[in-house]
Amino acid sequence: MNVTAKRTRITLHHGRTNLGLHRRKEAAGPNLLLLHELYASSDMWRTGVDAWQGSVWALDFSGHGDSAWREGGTYFPETLAADADAALGELGSACVAGAGIGAYAGLLLAGGRPKQVQATLLLPGTGIDGGGAEPPLDPAKGDLARLATANRTSTDPSSAACDPRVVMADADARPADYARSFALRAEAIFLAEDGKARPPWWEEVRLADGATTTTTDLPVALAALHAATLRE
Amino acid sequence: MDTPCTSVMILPMPADGRVDEHPDWVHAAPARRHVIRPLGVPLVLHEWGDPTAPALVLVHGFLDHGRGFETIAPRLAEKFRVISYDARGHGESGWCDGYAWPIDVAELIEVLRWTGGPACLVGHSRGGGMATDAAILAPELVRKLVNVDGFGPPPEGFGPAGRKPDERSSAEKFTDYLDQRRGDSGETSWRAYQSIDALVSRRQSQNPRLHGSWLEHFVRIGTRETEAGFVWRADPLLTRGFGPWRPEWFGRQWPYLKVPMLAVIGSEQDTWGPLPESVIGPRLDRVPHLERACINGAGHFVHMEKPEAFVDLLHSWFDS
Repeated sequence: MNVTAKRTRITLHHGRTNLGLHRRKEAAGPNLLLLHELYASSDMWRTGVDAWQGSVWALDFSGHGDSAWREGGTYFPETLAADADAALGELGSACVAGAGIGAYAGLLLAGGRPKQVQATLLLPGTGIDGGGAEPPLDPAKGDLARLATANRTSTDPSSAACDPRVVMADADARPADYARSFALRAEAIFLAEDGKARPPWWEEVRLADGATTTTTDLPVALAALHAATLRE
Repeated sequence: MDTPCTSVMILPMPADGRVDEHPDWVHAAPARRHVIRPLGVPLVLHEWGDPTAPALVLVHGFLDHGRGFETIAPRLAEKFRVISYDARGHGESGWCDGYAWPIDVAELIEVLRWTGGPACLVGHSRGGGMATDAAILAPELVRKLVNVDGFGPPPEGFGPAGRKPDERSSAEKFTDYLDQRRGDSGETSWRAYQSIDALVSRRQSQNPRLHGSWLEHFVRIGTRETEAGFVWRADPLLTRGFGPWRPEWFGRQWPYLKVPMLAVIGSEQDTWGPLPESVIGPRLDRVPHLERACINGAGHFVHMEKPEAFVDLLHSWFDS
């Protein structure tokens, strides 16, 4: 097995935004694409991924890490899934593991690219909830109110860990039937469970054919993910 | 067939069917131009009238621009400080990497804040929906609201008439979106026309009641010349987007509108509506303080097709 410790950064172009894709490890075997949680970055994957039998890649979503902030501040799970699709286009095919908002974006990517995403691991984390199954009736609880707060926050990229406007990506409605359509089209889906309550979209994915529950212990869950690629 | 115009007209208005032939206030360019960046993106504002007069803010529709209100701004400026603006991605304002309704509404709220508010607020089509949501979120910035045929998409969604509904799952449609995004270098462009006249002809076919010289002026402002020819100035990315939005979500929060709303439609059918009363009626029933009006002889572009009647209506509504 050809394993190198060399870390490489690739700049991806998604629309008008440049993204950083970081290679954590190079080895023979299926690619693993890691999607971080909200307000975090590719740095969250420092541990637990080394045992993966293949190359490991960690993406910085737009507005996070060393990726650019989106001109105009449009951050939605679908936008972030399209960020991940830019990485998938670079890699050709991959297994995907996402945490929090990265889990939901990973589900969207898996359903949108069923032939390129071999298996997907959904992990809990920040941004997992979204704004509920449908928009709130009370405007004070809606995405606009949250956006107004974000827009009043500092927007100086040099002084912030991430673009405050990414809060929008966790304010959108995530209807159960919408999530189900992606789960039904995706290849193997693994949900990392720790006994805690999950949002409606997650519960719906758990019920879909082809979905399997696993542990939140990352090396163990990744081993299950890898095994799924061998069964194909 | 629905007959909203006879059944719901509340305010008196001219209904003489007269065509506005070259009234001397047509095509009056803004007196002042401002560029502001309330959310980081440069927005071009157009202003007419006494800067110390009460503010009246005009919000244009999808793919249009703020100078489409040149037909009504000069007469409104007799009483108001009139402000229109090019929404992000439109007209001369800045382009973004993607667009979203809540951000457009947030930006409108910032424009209202910039005027010092509370302002009279008038929105056309998509701008009418934006204005309504802005008034819900920031009632302290809006004195009274006028929504001109901005009552949401048809239940089956926007699209060419007669087109079969897309029965594919959300995930299947999302593949199309991802394919588009992979192809979007950011320079995606509209079809190029070899002359302004060709663009005017195209637009005339969609808006048959628009006056020829006005239409040419409106189109000239709304286009730019590229190596391939004349293209519409608005950002092509405005037409891209993906999410779980459903028509039944439209206007969910309208019961929270504290500001009085005047809902305006034209009597004539054209490319963009109005929607049948069976669709509009239940949506407007949610508005707590509502009056309705219909401009006879106008289609969707009420302010361009019947500017005199529309200005009379606005003065009457804002004076009452």
